[in-house]
Amino acid sequence: MTDAEFVRAYEIAGADFTNAGRASTGIKETLKNMGLPSALIRRVAIAAYEAEMNTVMYARRGTMTLRVTPEDVTIDVRDEGPGIPDITLAMQEGYSTATPEMREMGFGAGMGLPNIRRNTDELVITSEVNRGTALMMTVHVS
Amino acid sequence: MSDTGEADVKAQAGALSLADVRAAVNGVALWCPDDSPAVSGIVAADLMSDVLVDARPGYVLVTGLVNVQVIRTAAIADLAAVVFARGKTVPADVVDLARQMNVPVFASHDKLFEAAGRLYALLGGGPAGPGRRRQA
Repeated sequence: MTDAEFVRAYEIAGADFTNAGRASTGIKETLKNMGLPSALIRRVAIAAYEAEMNTVMYARRGTMTLRVTPEDVTIDVRDEGPGIPDITLAMQEGYSTATPEMREMGFGAGMGLPNIRRNTDELVITSEVNRGTALMMTVHVS
Repeated sequence: MSDTGEADVKAQAGALSLADVRAAVNGVALWCPDDSPAVSGIVAADLMSDVLVDARPGYVLVTGLVNVQVIRTAAIADLAAVVFARGKTVPADVVDLARQMNVPVFASHDKLFEAAGRLYALLGGGPAGPGRRRQA
Protein backbone atom coordinates (compact mmCIF):
# COMPACT_ATOMS: atom_id res chain seq x y z
CA MET A 1 0.00 0.00 0.00
CA THR A 2 1.39 3.37 -1.01
CA ASP A 3 0.05 6.91 -1.03
CA ALA A 4 -0.09 6.68 -4.80
CA GLU A 5 -2.60 3.84 -4.77
CA PHE A 6 -6.07 4.54 -6.17
CA VAL A 7 -8.91 2.16 -5.23
CA ARG A 8 -12.51 2.04 -6.40
CA ALA A 9 -15.05 -0.78 -5.97
CA TYR A 10 -18.07 -1.60 -8.12
CA GLU A 11 -21.03 -3.82 -7.30
CA ILE A 12 -22.25 -6.31 -9.93
CA ALA A 13 -25.74 -7.82 -9.84
CA GLY A 14 -26.23 -11.34 -11.19
CA ALA A 15 -28.58 -11.73 -14.19
CA ASP A 16 -28.86 -7.97 -14.67
CA PHE A 17 -28.15 -7.91 -18.39
CA THR A 18 -29.41 -4.34 -18.81
CA ASN A 19 -26.62 -2.90 -16.67
CA ALA A 20 -23.99 -5.51 -17.48
CA GLY A 21 -20.84 -3.71 -18.55
CA ARG A 22 -21.41 -0.51 -16.61
CA ALA A 23 -18.68 -1.25 -14.07
CA SER A 24 -16.14 -1.93 -16.82
CA THR A 25 -17.19 1.22 -18.63
CA GLY A 26 -16.67 3.14 -15.37
CA ILE A 27 -13.22 1.60 -14.98
CA LYS A 28 -12.32 2.58 -18.53
CA GLU A 29 -13.42 6.18 -17.93
CA THR A 30 -11.46 6.34 -14.68
CA LEU A 31 -8.27 5.12 -16.34
CA LYS A 32 -8.77 7.55 -19.23
CA ASN A 33 -9.09 10.43 -16.79
CA MET A 34 -5.81 9.32 -15.20
CA GLY A 35 -4.13 9.73 -18.58
CA LEU A 36 -2.90 6.15 -18.92
CA PRO A 37 -1.94 4.90 -22.43
CA SER A 38 -4.97 3.98 -24.56
CA ALA A 39 -3.62 0.52 -25.48
CA LEU A 40 -3.23 -0.34 -21.79
CA ILE A 41 -6.71 1.00 -20.98
CA ARG A 42 -8.21 -1.11 -23.75
CA ARG A 43 -6.58 -4.31 -22.41
CA VAL A 44 -7.81 -3.61 -18.89
CA ALA A 45 -11.30 -2.70 -20.13
CA ILE A 46 -11.66 -5.89 -22.19
CA ALA A 47 -10.48 -8.11 -19.32
CA ALA A 48 -12.80 -6.31 -16.88
CA TYR A 49 -15.75 -6.54 -19.25
CA GLU A 50 -15.32 -10.28 -19.80
CA ALA A 51 -15.07 -10.83 -16.04
CA GLU A 52 -18.09 -8.65 -15.40
CA MET A 53 -20.15 -10.54 -17.99
CA ASN A 54 -19.13 -13.85 -16.39
CA THR A 55 -20.34 -12.55 -13.03
CA VAL A 56 -23.65 -11.33 -14.49
CA MET A 57 -24.20 -14.59 -16.36
CA TYR A 58 -23.26 -17.11 -13.69
CA ALA A 59 -23.22 -15.55 -10.23
CA ARG A 60 -25.78 -14.12 -7.83
CA ARG A 61 -23.70 -11.06 -7.17
CA GLY A 62 -20.14 -9.86 -7.18
CA THR A 63 -17.75 -7.01 -6.58
CA MET A 64 -15.07 -5.66 -8.87
CA THR A 65 -12.29 -3.61 -7.29
CA LEU A 66 -9.95 -1.47 -9.34
CA ARG A 67 -6.52 -0.66 -7.92
CA VAL A 68 -4.07 1.59 -9.70
CA THR A 69 -0.47 2.18 -8.67
CA PRO A 70 2.37 3.71 -10.70
CA GLU A 71 3.43 0.13 -11.52
CA ASP A 72 0.21 -1.85 -12.03
CA VAL A 73 -3.48 -1.77 -12.76
CA THR A 74 -5.16 -4.57 -10.82
CA ILE A 75 -8.77 -5.71 -10.95
CA ASP A 76 -10.03 -8.07 -8.29
CA VAL A 77 -13.36 -9.72 -9.08
CA ARG A 78 -15.10 -11.81 -6.43
CA ASP A 79 -18.47 -13.40 -6.91
CA GLU A 80 -20.98 -15.48 -4.98
CA GLY A 81 -22.05 -18.20 -7.37
CA PRO A 82 -21.68 -21.77 -8.57
CA GLY A 83 -17.88 -21.68 -8.83
CA ILE A 84 -15.81 -23.37 -11.54
CA PRO A 85 -15.36 -27.12 -11.01
CA ASP A 86 -12.48 -27.45 -13.49
CA ILE A 87 -10.52 -24.25 -14.09
CA THR A 88 -8.15 -25.87 -16.61
CA LEU A 89 -11.13 -26.89 -18.72
CA ALA A 90 -12.71 -23.44 -18.39
CA MET A 91 -9.49 -21.84 -19.67
CA GLN A 92 -9.73 -23.76 -22.96
CA GLU A 93 -10.93 -21.66 -25.88
CA GLY A 94 -14.41 -22.70 -26.91
CA TYR A 95 -15.32 -24.52 -23.69
CA SER A 96 -18.57 -23.09 -22.38
CA THR A 97 -21.40 -23.94 -20.04
CA ALA A 98 -23.50 -21.00 -21.26
CA THR A 99 -27.25 -21.23 -21.64
CA PRO A 100 -29.09 -20.23 -24.85
CA GLU A 101 -30.21 -17.04 -23.06
CA MET A 102 -26.58 -16.07 -22.42
CA ARG A 103 -25.72 -16.74 -26.07
CA GLU A 104 -28.61 -14.55 -27.17
CA MET A 105 -26.87 -11.72 -25.35
CA GLY A 106 -23.80 -12.37 -27.50
CA PHE A 107 -21.75 -14.11 -24.82
CA GLY A 108 -20.97 -17.68 -23.84
CA ALA A 109 -18.62 -18.41 -26.74
CA GLY A 110 -16.15 -20.04 -24.42
CA MET A 111 -13.71 -17.18 -24.95
CA GLY A 112 -14.19 -15.25 -21.71
CA LEU A 113 -11.39 -16.59 -19.52
CA PRO A 114 -8.95 -17.11 -22.43
CA ASN A 115 -9.66 -13.54 -23.50
CA ILE A 116 -8.95 -12.30 -19.97
CA ARG A 117 -5.65 -14.19 -19.95
CA ARG A 118 -4.76 -12.73 -23.37
CA ASN A 119 -5.26 -9.16 -22.14
CA THR A 120 -3.56 -9.40 -18.75
CA ASP A 121 0.03 -9.85 -17.62
CA GLU A 122 -0.96 -11.85 -14.55
CA LEU A 123 -4.13 -13.81 -13.86
CA VAL A 124 -4.90 -15.78 -10.72
CA ILE A 125 -8.17 -17.70 -10.52
CA THR A 126 -9.45 -19.36 -7.38
CA SER A 127 -12.83 -21.01 -7.15
CA GLU A 128 -14.90 -23.06 -4.78
CA VAL A 129 -17.89 -24.98 -6.10
CA ASN A 130 -21.21 -23.65 -4.79
CA ARG A 131 -19.40 -20.73 -3.11
CA GLY A 132 -17.90 -18.52 -5.77
CA THR A 133 -14.97 -17.49 -7.89
CA ALA A 134 -12.23 -14.89 -7.51
CA LEU A 135 -10.13 -13.45 -10.31
CA MET A 136 -7.08 -11.29 -9.70
CA MET A 137 -6.08 -9.63 -12.96
CA THR A 138 -2.98 -7.47 -13.31
CA VAL A 139 -1.72 -5.36 -16.18
CA HIS A 140 1.69 -3.76 -15.79
CA VAL A 141 1.82 -0.04 -16.45
CA SER A 142 5.44 0.02 -17.56
CA MET B 1 -28.40 -17.94 -33.52
CA SER B 2 -24.80 -17.49 -32.49
CA ASP B 3 -23.59 -18.50 -35.91
CA THR B 4 -20.54 -16.33 -36.19
CA GLY B 5 -18.94 -15.33 -39.45
CA GLU B 6 -15.85 -13.26 -39.22
CA ALA B 7 -14.28 -11.21 -41.91
CA ASP B 8 -11.43 -9.39 -40.32
CA VAL B 9 -9.76 -7.20 -42.87
CA LYS B 10 -7.47 -4.28 -42.38
CA ALA B 11 -8.28 -1.13 -44.29
CA GLN B 12 -5.74 0.88 -46.19
CA ALA B 13 -4.73 3.67 -43.84
CA GLY B 14 -7.20 6.53 -44.11
CA ALA B 15 -8.77 5.12 -47.26
CA LEU B 16 -12.20 4.43 -45.83
CA SER B 17 -14.65 6.54 -43.85
CA LEU B 18 -17.88 5.81 -41.99
CA ALA B 19 -19.71 7.42 -44.93
CA ASP B 20 -18.16 4.84 -47.30
CA VAL B 21 -19.22 1.99 -44.98
CA ARG B 22 -22.77 3.31 -44.73
CA ALA B 23 -23.05 3.67 -48.52
CA ALA B 24 -21.64 0.18 -49.17
CA VAL B 25 -24.30 -1.55 -47.07
CA ASN B 26 -27.13 0.86 -48.05
CA GLY B 27 -27.27 1.76 -44.39
CA VAL B 28 -29.39 4.25 -42.52
CA ALA B 29 -27.71 6.30 -39.81
CA LEU B 30 -29.55 5.75 -36.52
CA TRP B 31 -27.07 7.96 -34.75
CA CYS B 32 -23.95 9.40 -36.36
CA PRO B 33 -22.99 13.01 -35.68
CA ASP B 34 -20.01 12.80 -38.04
CA ASP B 35 -19.44 10.24 -40.80
CA SER B 36 -16.00 11.47 -41.82
CA PRO B 37 -13.78 9.53 -39.36
CA ALA B 38 -11.50 6.93 -40.90
CA VAL B 39 -12.21 3.23 -40.44
CA SER B 40 -9.25 0.96 -39.75
CA GLY B 41 -10.96 -2.37 -40.50
CA ILE B 42 -14.11 -4.45 -40.33
CA VAL B 43 -15.15 -7.28 -38.02
CA ALA B 44 -18.36 -9.26 -38.53
CA ALA B 45 -19.68 -11.43 -35.69
CA ASP B 46 -22.66 -12.18 -33.48
CA LEU B 47 -20.63 -13.27 -30.48
CA MET B 48 -19.22 -10.32 -28.58
CA SER B 49 -16.31 -12.27 -27.10
CA ASP B 50 -15.15 -12.96 -30.66
CA VAL B 51 -15.37 -9.24 -31.37
CA LEU B 52 -13.22 -8.56 -28.32
CA VAL B 53 -10.61 -10.99 -29.66
CA ASP B 54 -10.59 -9.96 -33.32
CA ALA B 55 -11.36 -6.25 -33.48
CA ARG B 56 -8.75 -3.54 -33.29
CA PRO B 57 -9.38 0.13 -32.41
CA GLY B 58 -11.18 1.93 -35.22
CA TYR B 59 -12.84 -1.17 -36.66
CA VAL B 60 -16.51 -1.19 -37.66
CA LEU B 61 -18.55 -4.07 -36.23
CA VAL B 62 -21.18 -5.65 -38.49
CA THR B 63 -23.57 -7.82 -36.52
CA GLY B 64 -26.95 -9.48 -36.52
CA LEU B 65 -27.20 -9.15 -32.75
CA VAL B 66 -29.33 -6.24 -31.55
CA ASN B 67 -29.02 -5.36 -27.87
CA VAL B 68 -27.24 -2.99 -25.51
CA GLN B 69 -24.27 -5.34 -25.08
CA VAL B 70 -23.29 -4.68 -28.69
CA ILE B 71 -22.92 -0.98 -27.86
CA ARG B 72 -21.02 -1.66 -24.63
CA THR B 73 -18.70 -4.03 -26.49
CA ALA B 74 -18.05 -1.43 -29.19
CA ALA B 75 -17.26 1.22 -26.58
CA ILE B 76 -15.00 -1.08 -24.55
CA ALA B 77 -13.06 -2.11 -27.68
CA ASP B 78 -12.74 1.44 -29.11
CA LEU B 79 -14.65 0.55 -32.29
CA ALA B 80 -15.50 3.24 -34.85
CA ALA B 81 -19.15 2.24 -35.37
CA VAL B 82 -21.71 -0.59 -35.45
CA VAL B 83 -23.75 -1.72 -38.45
CA PHE B 84 -26.85 -3.72 -37.48
CA ALA B 85 -27.53 -6.13 -40.35
CA ARG B 86 -30.57 -8.16 -41.40
CA GLY B 87 -33.00 -5.22 -41.23
CA LYS B 88 -33.76 -5.93 -37.60
CA THR B 89 -35.57 -3.29 -35.61
CA VAL B 90 -33.12 -1.54 -33.33
CA PRO B 91 -34.77 -0.69 -30.00
CA ALA B 92 -34.70 2.91 -28.78
CA ASP B 93 -32.68 1.98 -25.67
CA VAL B 94 -29.90 0.65 -27.89
CA VAL B 95 -29.74 3.89 -29.90
CA ASP B 96 -29.93 5.95 -26.70
CA LEU B 97 -26.99 4.07 -25.22
CA ALA B 98 -25.04 4.48 -28.48
CA ARG B 99 -25.57 8.24 -28.24
CA GLN B 100 -24.52 8.27 -24.58
CA MET B 101 -21.41 6.23 -25.30
CA ASN B 102 -20.57 8.07 -28.52
CA VAL B 103 -20.78 4.98 -30.75
CA PRO B 104 -22.15 5.74 -34.25
CA VAL B 105 -24.79 3.18 -35.30
CA PHE B 106 -26.24 2.25 -38.70
CA ALA B 107 -28.95 -0.15 -39.83
CA SER B 108 -28.82 -2.19 -43.02
CA HIS B 109 -31.23 -4.62 -44.66
CA ASP B 110 -28.30 -6.70 -45.91
CA LYS B 111 -27.79 -10.13 -44.40
CA LEU B 112 -24.68 -10.32 -42.23
CA PHE B 113 -22.87 -12.34 -44.91
CA GLU B 114 -23.84 -9.85 -47.65
CA ALA B 115 -22.83 -6.80 -45.61
CA ALA B 116 -19.51 -8.39 -44.67
CA GLY B 117 -18.93 -9.36 -48.32
CA ARG B 118 -19.58 -5.85 -49.62
CA LEU B 119 -17.26 -4.35 -47.03
CA TYR B 120 -14.60 -6.98 -47.72
CA ALA B 121 -14.73 -6.03 -51.40
CA LEU B 122 -14.70 -2.32 -50.55
CA LEU B 123 -11.51 -2.85 -48.59
CA GLY B 124 -9.90 -4.54 -51.55
CA GLY B 125 -9.93 -7.89 -49.83
CA GLY B 126 -9.81 -9.83 -53.10
CA PRO B 127 -11.56 -13.17 -53.55
CA ALA B 128 -13.88 -14.07 -50.71
CA GLY B 129 -12.16 -16.13 -48.09
CA PRO B 130 -11.61 -16.29 -44.38
CA GLY B 131 -10.07 -13.24 -42.83
CA ARG B 132 -6.80 -13.45 -41.04
CA ARG B 133 -7.52 -14.61 -37.52
CA ARG B 134 -5.38 -12.51 -35.29
CA GLN B 135 -3.18 -13.93 -32.59
CA ALA B 136 -2.83 -11.49 -29.72
